[in-house]
Amino acid sequence: MAKRKPSVNTENLTAVQLMELDSCSRCGECVNWCPTYDAAGQDPGLAPRDKILRWREFMNKSYGLRARLFGPKEIPEEDIEKFKDDVYKCTTCGMCATVCESAINTVELWESMRANLVKRGNGPFGKQGAFLKLIGQYKNPYMEDNKNRVNWFPKDVKVEDKAEILYFGGCTAELKQRKLALATARLLNKLGIKFTMLGEDEICCGSALIRTGQYFINDTAKVNAQKNIDNIKAKGAKTVLYACAGCYRASLIDWPRLTGQKLPFKVVHITQFLQELIEKGDIKWEKSIDKKVTYHDPCHLGRHVGVFEPPRAVLKAIPGIELVEMDRIEENQRCCGAGGGVKAGVPDLALGVASTRVEDALATKADLLSSACPFCKRNLSDGRDAIGAKQLEVEDVVVLAAQAMGIDLSDSPE
Amino acid sequence: MDYFAGVSDALRLTFVQVMIMASLSIGIFIIGMYINLKKWGMGSTGYGQQPSGSILAFPTMLAKQMSEHAHVHNQSVLETFVLDILFQRRILRRSPLRWFMHFTIFFGWMALFVLSLAMFAVEMVHLISERLGVHALPEFLYPEVFRELLAVPNDIFSYILLTGIIIAIYRRLFVAKVRESTIAYDSVLLIGLTVITITGFIADGIRTGRFWGFDMPVEWAPPMALFHVVISLLFCIAYIPFSKYIHMIAIPLALLANKGGE
Ligand code: SF4
Ligand code: SF4
Repeated sequence: MAKRKPSVNTENLTAVQLMELDSCSRCGECVNWCPTYDAAGQDPGLAPRDKILRWREFMNKSYGLRARLFGPKEIPEEDIEKFKDDVYKCTTCGMCATVCESAINTVELWESMRANLVKRGNGPFGKQGAFLKLIGQYKNPYMEDNKNRVNWFPKDVKVEDKAEILYFGGCTAELKQRKLALATARLLNKLGIKFTMLGEDEICCGSALIRTGQYFINDTAKVNAQKNIDNIKAKGAKTVLYACAGCYRASLIDWPRLTGQKLPFKVVHITQFLQELIEKGDIKWEKSIDKKVTYHDPCHLGRHVGVFEPPRAVLKAIPGIELVEMDRIEENQRCCGAGGGVKAGVPDLALGVASTRVEDALATKADLLSSACPFCKRNLSDGRDAIGAKQLEVEDVVVLAAQAMGIDLSDSPE
Repeated sequence: MDYFAGVSDALRLTFVQVMIMASLSIGIFIIGMYINLKKWGMGSTGYGQQPSGSILAFPTMLAKQMSEHAHVHNQSVLETFVLDILFQRRILRRSPLRWFMHFTIFFGWMALFVLSLAMFAVEMVHLISERLGVHALPEFLYPEVFRELLAVPNDIFSYILLTGIIIAIYRRLFVAKVRESTIAYDSVLLIGLTVITITGFIADGIRTGRFWGFDMPVEWAPPMALFHVVISLLFCIAYIPFSKYIHMIAIPLALLANKGGE
C-alpha cells in the first residue's frame, strides 16, 4: 500500500524554526503575557505555547519516528483550519519572544507558519486576503490613488526634488493619518532640514504582506522593497526618516532580508533624529504643552528593534509635558492590538486589546496617550472610543513636538 | 569481567551488561537525533527559501543565524553560553523560584553525570591496567579509593538534584495553573527524573546501609544499581530525541541561534 502523504509541509519554515518547536519547555511564560490570548477571554488556542505544541504535533505526525516507520498520520483538515484561525489572531507583538525562556523567535515562527498556510491554501484571514490585490493595484492597501500620497500638502510645505534626507511617509500617515505626515514635513521645514519624499513613487513598505504571510506571492514584497530602495537611491538620499513604526521595522529588517542586500542608506526613526537635534540644542521650543502624557511603545519600534529611549527623550524635552509611565512599558509593553493584520482581519480582537491598553493609560491619570506610530494611534483612539474614555487624548509624539515648536496643524486634512 | 570493581564481589555488576545497555542507549540516541536532524532539515536554510531536505540544513541555518547581526541583543557566543545556557538568566528574569528549581535540577544532574563519567573512566583505567599487568597507578586512581573520594560530592549533588525535583513535583501537583497545563509530554520528563533519582538513592542506601536503603538486604544492591544504571541510560540518553528531554539539546541551540533571544 502506498504511504499516505504528510498532511503538512515545511514550506517557508527554516531548519532552525523547526528545531525551535522542540525547544519549548512549556514554561507558560508566554501565556501569561500574550495580549490577544487575554483579550479573547483566554482562549486556549491562542496561547503561544499551545500553537507551538500543535505545530510540533503536526510535524511529528508527518515526519517523526512513527511517520518514518509506518507512514505519516493524517491530520484532520479542520484541525489545520482551526490552527490557521488561531495563528492569525496574533498581532506579532513579540511579547512571547521577549519572555520566552528558551529564546524562541516566536514572531518569525508565527509569520513563517502563516506563509506556510497561505501556500497550503488555508491563509490568510478574512479581509487580509485583499492586501495583495490592493497593493498590486494601488501600491497601498487603502485603495487610494497613489498620487494622493503627498499632493494634498499645503503650499507652504517644501519638499525637495532630491536631498540627502528622505522622509518615507508610509501609507497610513500619507493617506489616512495625515496630521502626522504634515507635522513631520513642517517640523523638518522649520528646522531648516532639506528633505525629499518619494511621492507617488512610494509603494507600501510590505509590512502588511510580510506580517500576514503573503510576502512571497509573486515576490510582491521583494519587488516592491527593491523598487522603493531604487527610488530612494535615485533621490540621492543617504538617510531615510520614518514616522511609522511598521515601515521602520520593515525597512530595517525585512527589506535587506527580502532583497538579500544591505541597504544603501541609513534607516532612522524620526524620534531618533529629533533626540539627536535636542541633544545638540538645535530645537527651539515655542510653546508649552501643559499635560500629563504617557507613552505607548509601538511593538515594531520598541521590542522588535529596541528603540525605547528616543521617543521618551523627545517627550521629556517638550516644555510643560509631565511624562508618566504605564505599568507595562518598553520590552514588557502591552500591544495596542492593531499589528500583524489583526486590525483588518479580526477587528473585534484589535479593539479588545486596544481597550485594555487604554485602561493601562487611564490608570496613570494621564491627559494624553502618545505613541510613535500612526497605526497605534488609530487603534488606541478606537479603543478609547470603545470604552468611552473621551477625556483621554491620543496623539503622536511627532505631532506634539511640532506643536511645541509652534507649528500650526489646524489645516491638516483629518 | 566485572564492573564496579571498587565494590566487593557480591556487589559487582557485570561489565558486559552495562556496556551492552550503554551501547544500545547511545545507538538509539544517535538514530533519534538523526531522525530529528532529518526532521529539522525539512526546513530551509534561509527565510522564504525552499525546504532543503538535507541533513546539513540545520547546521547550515544555525551557522548563518549565529553569524548574522541581531538588531536587539547582538551578544557574543561566549555571553550566550555562560549567562544564558549555563546560568539560565532568562528563567531567572521571569521567575526566581522556577530558576532555582531548574538550576538545581540542571546543576545537580550535570554534576552527577560528570562524576559518574569520571567513575566510569577510573573503572576502565583500572580494568585496562590490570589486563596489561600495570600496577603503578596513583593511589587515587584505584576504584575503591576514587569511589570514596566521590562519596561526599555525590551526596551533595544528589541533595541538590532532589531539592529541584521536589519543587518541580510540588508545582505540578499543587499549583493549579501549572497542574492544569500539564500534559503527558511534561509528566514523562519529571517521572523519569524522579525514578532515576529515587533508585539512585535506594541503590546507594542498600550499599552503604544508610536509611534510604530501607534496610533492604545487601544482596539487592547490585540489581538495584543495575536498574538505576539501566533506566538512567535509557531515559538520559536513549529517550532524549523522542521526548521532552530533547529540550536539553534544543534550548541551548535556540539560545545560540537567537543570540540569547530578544
Ligand atoms: S506575538 Fe504577541 S499576540 Fe502574538 S502570540 Fe506572541 S504575545 Fe501573543
Ligand atoms: S515562553 Fe517559550 S518556552 Fe515557555 S511555553 Fe512559551 S514558547 Fe514555550
